[in-house]
Amino acid sequence: MVDKVRDLKEVVSEIPAEGAEIALGGFAITRCPIAFACELIRQNKREMSLYEIIGSMDADMLVGAGAVKSLSYGGGSLDRFGRLGRINEAIENGTIDVKEYSGLGLTLRFTAGSMGIPFIPTKAMLGTEIIQNLLKAEPAVKVGQSPFDGESYVFLGALQPEYSVIHCQYADKKGNVVTEGPVWDLDLAKAGRKLIVTVEKIVSTEYIKRFPEKVIIPGVYTYAVVEAPYGAYPTSVYKCYDYDARALKLYAGVNTNQHDFDEYLSKYVLGTKDHNEFIEQMGGIARLNSITADPVFGYAMGGKNDGSD
Amino acid sequence: MGAIRYSTNELMAVTASRLLKDGQNIVVGLGLPQVATLLAQNTHAPNINIIYEIGVINPEAVDPGVGIADPRLWHRSEYFTSFIGTLGEILQKGLVDVGFLGGLQIDRYGNINSTLVRTDGKMRHFTGSGGASDIATFSRNVYVIIKHERRKIVDTLDYLTTAGYLRGHETRRECGLPMCESIKVITNLCVMGINPEDKSLQVESIHPGISEEDIINSTGFEVKMSPGTKVTEQPTEEELRLLRERIDPAGMYIK
Repeated sequence: MVDKVRDLKEVVSEIPAEGAEIALGGFAITRCPIAFACELIRQNKREMSLYEIIGSMDADMLVGAGAVKSLSYGGGSLDRFGRLGRINEAIENGTIDVKEYSGLGLTLRFTAGSMGIPFIPTKAMLGTEIIQNLLKAEPAVKVGQSPFDGESYVFLGALQPEYSVIHCQYADKKGNVVTEGPVWDLDLAKAGRKLIVTVEKIVSTEYIKRFPEKVIIPGVYTYAVVEAPYGAYPTSVYKCYDYDARALKLYAGVNTNQHDFDEYLSKYVLGTKDHNEFIEQMGGIARLNSITADPVFGYAMGGKNDGSD
Repeated sequence: MGAIRYSTNELMAVTASRLLKDGQNIVVGLGLPQVATLLAQNTHAPNINIIYEIGVINPEAVDPGVGIADPRLWHRSEYFTSFIGTLGEILQKGLVDVGFLGGLQIDRYGNINSTLVRTDGKMRHFTGSGGASDIATFSRNVYVIIKHERRKIVDTLDYLTTAGYLRGHETRRECGLPMCESIKVITNLCVMGINPEDKSLQVESIHPGISEEDIINSTGFEVKMSPGTKVTEQPTEEELRLLRERIDPAGMYIK
């Protein structure tokens, strides 16, 4: 049987040191592939082209670490905790090449990629400065007339990034992926020429066969499966653990300027050998216990978890 | 009985909730839009469908969240789906009756900037559009909740992320966009709607205690009053009770 299980360090070491093209799942403060992003930083990947539909902490850290040459995204934030300070400053200073889409705009490029069709039409973004800027900077975006109704449409070229990386709850070693909760990154995942899935736990194929309706991505799409417990920490994974408000507040405080961010990065990422040590620096098992999800509600009950502690 | 006391945010939530009709499909963001939608659901519109763009339909949250990426807001949902499931299918197919939006700036034709602000030749970048641009493109009605200040309700946007009626008249249709039925802007001073002729914003109702001059002074373009401008109807005691006891007991948004 095909065994796609790989070690995080090993699978990241396979990614080109310069110029890799990577799409990241995650949405603001949930299911972000943080362990993966931190390992990219530890292995000093440079000049990356990054894609993320709703930008989050992972993309912000990679931009802050100087690893990114270009970023295509639909905006993003740390929700109430703050903004993507490293991305915002990079845009303001023009230090990286940023292409902004609407959320649907970028998602549709992945959808075309996931289906293997060359482009997809939509009326999304018509009339906006978003589309004006894309028409100047992105050859894969065009406006034209539909041959069917003669109306104006945006034609979005398919996007099949070299790597798509998402973090989910479970997968088996064949790469059948189970996700609980909403799946905003489904199309991004299926578009990647190589889909890497980091999961909380690798489960048996017997489990998959008992709940095939929970599989959102069949193994035929998957290149590698990495077991990375708490791999989205400090962002949340539905029914596994909550976001860590204290850790997100800490990050939202340091990402407002490069100096504080650099100190954070050298202490928590470059100064740790792996994601386990990162979590230990953040408070370790006691911290994780405080954000363990209630099985009915899917998040940590009691306390406000808004970072006020 | 004495006069009913309420906050401006309570008035805005009640005003927005009264615009919603039973059975409508509504794309909601966190904050006053969510409060308004829940109020409508608890009063005149029990069969409203709530949609979060992240891929969540008809949740029944019991705890407040920090954003639509907070699993608190996904509790007891009826359906989990993808971005394509919400924005690409339900929204793009034209099934959304009302999209609620906020933004950094809005202009006289209901166009919105949710991305960046320019001052003194410098740019400050904020969060970007996300699904907001898509929601304004495809929803039948767009309701915007925004603070009424000259720097937010402006003559010229610093960046147009979200199409309203573009440059008015038929320019939205000519650009190839589906025509939305209405845009309403609910501020802390008034409610504005769209003039059917030139598709520009005009004041439809003024909140109690606010003068026309207050609105003129707080608006970055020459603001028009619609014929028969009214005073915004006040909240009822029952609406205030629901807001305070059931929908936002911690007073996170209605204070």
